[in-house]
Amino acid sequence: MAILEEPIKEVSLIKNFIGGEWLKSKGEVKDVVNPATGKTIAKVPISTRDEIDAAVKAAQEAFPDWRTTTPLARSRCLFRLKELLEENFEEVSRIQTQEHGKTIDESRGETRRGIENVEVACGIPTLMQGYFSEDIASGIDEWLIPTPLGVFGIIGPFNFPFMIPLWSAPYAVATGNCVVIKPSSEVPNSQTRLTELADEAGFPPGVWNMVHGGRTVVTGMLEHPGINGIAFVGSTPTAKYIYKACGETGKRVIAQGGAKNFMVIMPDANIEATIPALMTSFFGNTGQRCLSGANLLIVGDDRFYNSFMDAVAAAASRIVIGYGLDESVQMGPVRDKEKKEKILGYIESGIQQGAKLRLDGRGQVKIAGDYPQTCFLGATIFENVTPDMKIGSEEIFGPVMSVMRAKNLDEVIEMCNASPFGNGQAIFTSSGKNAREFQYRITSGNVGINVGIVAPMAFFPFSGMKDSFFGILHTQGQEAVRFFTESKVVIQRWL
Amino acid sequence: MEINTASATISFAKKLEEDSAKFYEDLFQRYAKDEDVLLSFAKENRKNVVQIERTYYGVITDAIEGCFAFNINPDEYTLKTELAEEASYSEALDKAVGIEERMIKFYSDAAEQSRSLMADIPRAFTLIARKREGRESKLRSLKEG
Repeated sequence: MAILEEPIKEVSLIKNFIGGEWLKSKGEVKDVVNPATGKTIAKVPISTRDEIDAAVKAAQEAFPDWRTTTPLARSRCLFRLKELLEENFEEVSRIQTQEHGKTIDESRGETRRGIENVEVACGIPTLMQGYFSEDIASGIDEWLIPTPLGVFGIIGPFNFPFMIPLWSAPYAVATGNCVVIKPSSEVPNSQTRLTELADEAGFPPGVWNMVHGGRTVVTGMLEHPGINGIAFVGSTPTAKYIYKACGETGKRVIAQGGAKNFMVIMPDANIEATIPALMTSFFGNTGQRCLSGANLLIVGDDRFYNSFMDAVAAAASRIVIGYGLDESVQMGPVRDKEKKEKILGYIESGIQQGAKLRLDGRGQVKIAGDYPQTCFLGATIFENVTPDMKIGSEEIFGPVMSVMRAKNLDEVIEMCNASPFGNGQAIFTSSGKNAREFQYRITSGNVGINVGIVAPMAFFPFSGMKDSFFGILHTQGQEAVRFFTESKVVIQRWL
Repeated sequence: MEINTASATISFAKKLEEDSAKFYEDLFQRYAKDEDVLLSFAKENRKNVVQIERTYYGVITDAIEGCFAFNINPDEYTLKTELAEEASYSEALDKAVGIEERMIKFYSDAAEQSRSLMADIPRAFTLIARKREGRESKLRSLKEG
C-alpha cells in the first residue's frame, strides 16, 4: 500500500500568534518528533510568562470591538474558517498523523469532528438568543441577554491535537469572546495550521491567539486576572489542579480529565458486529483516548466467554501496525518513548499482580514498513483482571485491554459505578431491557449502547462525570454557548 | 494483502474507477464506435470518484470503525483491462461487461461491509453498484445492435 505524502517537509521553528502577528518566542526550543519515523519535524518554543501576558493583553484589547461585532458578522468569520478547513482538509489531517502517529482514517475523522464544531458555532445568531417574558408584573417586562465575558484560555492535550481546542474555541469567539490557545507542545503543528487558517478567515487581530509552551504558559493563564475562564482537557490530576486554581481565582472552568471505561458484553450481544467496535474502542488511536475502552467486562458462562475471547484475541492479533500515512495501517505508534515506557510498566504490573497475559504487545512489534521500534507497541490483552489491580483501575492510555467477568447486569453496574471515573461506558446487547437498565443506572457522562467510542456529536455536550470531569457546563453545542456567556437579566418598567 | 481500512478502500475504489475509465477511453480510440456511450461511461467513472470521496470525507469519524470495517481481498476485484491485439469489438464489449460485473460485486460487497459506518458510505457504494447494473444492460444492447 502506498504511503501518503508527508505535508511537513522541512524543520521550522514554530511561532506564537499574538495580536494578529506571528512572533518568534524568546523561550527555549524543543524538538517535535514524528513517533513513527523518529524524525524531527519541527521546533516548538516553550514560551515565557511575558509572552502569555502579551497574548492576554492583545485579547483584552480586541474584546470591546469584537463583542460589538454582530453575531452574524462573527458567524461569517466562522463560515470562512469552515470553508478553509474543507479546502485544506487533507493537509490538516496528514499533519496530525505526522506529528501524533494516529492513522490517516483517524486523523480525517478528527478533522471532520473539529469542523463539525465550527459548523455548529456558525449558528450563533440563533444559538445566542436570549428570552423574554412580557408582563411579569403589571407593566413590567423581563428578559435575558447572554453576554460574552472577555478572554478565555484553552489548553489542549496531545491525543487530539487538532479537534479538542475546537470543542471550545469556535463557541468562545462566536459568542464575542477572545481566546488564547495553548496547544500541547508535543503536537503543536496542527493548531499552528489551524491558527493560520483562522487568521486567513479574517478574525480581527487579538481575537484568536496561540501561545506554545508548557507549565509556565498554563500557570500564566491560571493566574492572569485578565482571563475569565479556562477550558482544559487532559489527565485527571491536572484537571483537578486546574479546577481548584480556577476556583481560587474566580474563573469559569471546564476541566475534562481521564477515564477507565468499561465495555460490557452481554451474552446476547451480536458478536460479529461487536468485535470491530471493540477493536476501535480499545486499540483505536493506540488507546490514547479518554473514550477508549479499557476494561472489557463479560457476562456469560465459560463457553460464551471462551468463544468470545477467542474472537477478540484473534482480531487483535491481526491488527496491522505501522506509520499512519500508510493507508493499510490500523494502529499507529504511541506518541513518544516515555509514554511507551509507562505503558510497559503497566503491563509489567499486570503480570506481577497475577493477571493472565493473553496477548503480549511487548517486544519486537511486527511493523508494516521499515520504521524504528521506538514508539510502537502491539495490542495487549490481559484476562483474569480484577478491579483492584492497577491495570483494572488506573488509566493506562495505551493499547491494553483488561478483561474481567461479571455474573449478571447488577454486578456489571456495581463494578462500573465503583470506578472513580465516569467518562464513556458502553454495553453491547440485543436486549432493550438490558440497554435501558444500563443507561439508567450507570454513572457515566457518555453512555454507549452497541457503540464502542461514545463520542458525542458537536451539537451535544461532551459530558463526563466523577473524576472524568470537573465543572458544570461542558464543551460543545449549547452548553459551550452557555459556558462562554454570562446571563444578564433585565427587568424593566417605564414610568 | 487484505484491505481493512476505510481510507485504503476508498483509494482502491478510485483505482478501479480510473482503470475502468481508461479502458472505455481506449475502447473508443481503438474501435471508433459508440462514442456517446463509451466516453460518457469514462466521464461517469470520474464523477463516481468525486462522489465517493465527498461522501467519505463528509462523514469519516474515528468514533466509528473506520480502521476495522473492511475485509476486502483486492485480487477478487482487480480489473483485467488488457485486450488482445485481434479482439473484435464484440469481444471487447464482453470484456466491458465482465469489468462492470466485477465493479458491481466490489461496490455491493463494500456496501455490505460498511453497514456499521455512517449510512452515507454504504448508500454511496450501493448507488454506484445500481448505476453499473444499468451499464451492463446498455453494453449488452450495444453488442446486440
